[in-house]
Amino acid sequence: MATAPEKFILIKKGFWGMKASLVKTTFFDGLVLGYLLVVVLIAILHPSDEQMLELSKNTLIFLSCCLVGAGASFLLNFFKLKTLGELIFEDAEAKANLVSESWYKTVWAWELIVFLVTTLIVGVKITQFSVFELMDQQGFQGAIRLFQGLMSPNFDLLPRAVLNIIVTIFMAFMATALAIPIAFVLCFFCAKNIMKTPGAFVIYMGLRTLLNIMRSIEALIWAIIFSVWVGIGPFAGMMALMIHSIASLAKQYSEIVESVNEGPIEGIVSTGANKLQTIWFAIVPQVVLPFISFTVYRWDINIRMATIVGLVGGGGIGTLLIQFQGQAMWPEVGTIILVIAFVVWFMDTASAYLREALK
Amino acid sequence: MINRNPNSNETLLSIKDLVKTYPNGTQALKEVSFEVRRGEFLVVIGLSGSGKSTLLRCLNRLNDPTSGEITFNGKSTLDLKPAEVRNLRKKVAMIFQHFNLVPRHTVLSNVLMGRLGDTPSLKSLFGMFSAPDYQKAREYLNLVGIAEKEKMRADQLSGGQQQRVAIARALTQQPEILLADEPVASLDPATCHTVMDYLKKVNQELGITIICNLHFLSLVRQYATRVIALKAGEIVFEGSPTEITDDWFARIYGHGAREVHIN
Ligand SMILES: Nc1ncnc2c1ncn2[C@@H]1O[C@H](COP(=O)(O)OP(=O)(O)OP(=O)(O)O)[C@@H](O)[C@H]1O
Ligand SMILES: [Mg+2]
Repeated sequence: MATAPEKFILIKKGFWGMKASLVKTTFFDGLVLGYLLVVVLIAILHPSDEQMLELSKNTLIFLSCCLVGAGASFLLNFFKLKTLGELIFEDAEAKANLVSESWYKTVWAWELIVFLVTTLIVGVKITQFSVFELMDQQGFQGAIRLFQGLMSPNFDLLPRAVLNIIVTIFMAFMATALAIPIAFVLCFFCAKNIMKTPGAFVIYMGLRTLLNIMRSIEALIWAIIFSVWVGIGPFAGMMALMIHSIASLAKQYSEIVESVNEGPIEGIVSTGANKLQTIWFAIVPQVVLPFISFTVYRWDINIRMATIVGLVGGGGIGTLLIQFQGQAMWPEVGTIILVIAFVVWFMDTASAYLREALK
Repeated sequence: MINRNPNSNETLLSIKDLVKTYPNGTQALKEVSFEVRRGEFLVVIGLSGSGKSTLLRCLNRLNDPTSGEITFNGKSTLDLKPAEVRNLRKKVAMIFQHFNLVPRHTVLSNVLMGRLGDTPSLKSLFGMFSAPDYQKAREYLNLVGIAEKEKMRADQLSGGQQQRVAIARALTQQPEILLADEPVASLDPATCHTVMDYLKKVNQELGITIICNLHFLSLVRQYATRVIALKAGEIVFEGSPTEITDDWFARIYGHGAREVHIN
């Protein structure tokens, strides 16, 4: 039973061995130096807009720059000039034997400084950061009108806002409630300390990948997908939140399962209990409280996300908000924002108290 | 069913050329061979890292041996299917240095878990243990003198009490062998004797064979009927506790080691 993962580790070590850090270092430095090189190229050559749009050609240029960067990193480290990547990824052993050097004499410090400064400059250019726009008279007046509207909310809208926020709260509740049992079952299949045999390991990897993909697609995007699939409204929003919650909860649950104390597991296994019994009697008692705590937190997050999801057709208060915002009816928007702020604040505080009490 | 005569010559367990090499290359056991007779109180001694735990864990298949032969009641235990391994574990119970009880469950519930191997999955998930199971659990809680604590949470007991609960859990499995991996290493000297006395009682009154890892020689002399000593994964001594002379002590624990007494 225990031999399978042991074998996996062996294979992994055999392949990468000591080189694991070298691969990571070269990759990291390659990206950083390649990026710097590309920035320099753009600054020198001033490519036209059409040239910037040639994706495949530019990708090729970027990758060649990265290759050059990787080569540079390899050479620098070969001559014992420590790069940023090496500093981050070197083995624990080397980290323990740090030699203290003045930072300005090191390659990695200069690599970091040049990287940060360049990125700041590029960032200012790309976001068209402009103090002038902020101070522009006309725009400024517009903002003031908006704030005045927000500050004098139109309470005629309050009943509708309240009804809509109730919809939003229940969207979040249903999404969480439906996600819990699914995530609970899935989490054991993506916990390393349970999936030990080679066959199980394949399921573990597959499921992890699937959940990672599900999680990397934002709830906002799921809401767009479902608002086309099942039509605009609370059901679409609920489905979007549920999918996202399943992926997030399964991940968090499985991490808790992976960190349980092995002692009770051994104790139960040694009585001749089977896998299901071991999970139920040795693992579940150790994880219930953290599970509940994470679930409450997830519900809290879902209430906030339910509002956002509503903006793209997920129903509830978000949909109401986007309607009035589109017509620039600021006093009405002000009412809606007040209601949202109150509910979010209340749920946030309540969930914090709950989680504190559950520790 | 169980032979209560500790001096019987029936071989219960026979270990031949047992080798365990961990995946990182550590050779924890190198061709270990010995036999265990029914009713013995066999103690395994040796320096830290000599392979004592590995040996015990090979016997109930918590570890998979690399090669060699183990026969229990005349049957090999190395080519078993998962269900048969679970059956083996029912008969070869184990207690641990850190007790390994389930913290949030009550004492009684922990002891009942000794019946998991004989309870269908679905029933056990609902905690539906049979009336005879309850009876056994209470009987063994009584035997280790802790019956009045049955409703307490396991993690609220002292170390010595937890180890007694662990013994009761092991007993409800109705085992033939009880493996004890340094059962008293995290207990104070007085408690340590209490727990060892209960193990002795289990051995003598119930006739259960005991294989126990110990660190203190004074305990070995007091409780063992036979001793084997491991050094770097090999057996360097096998005999009665009275035969461990200063000379042997030096050989087992290395020259310059001094015996620590525990009273
Ligand atoms: N899971 C494991 N993976 C790799 N090596 C291990 C593992 N478990 C134990 N070892 C190694 O096997 C050898 C024997 O360990 P073992 O735990 O059996 O010794 P021990 O006699 O019980 O020691 P102690 O008295 O400290 O409990 C040691 O060198 C140990 O480092
Ligand atoms: Mg040990």
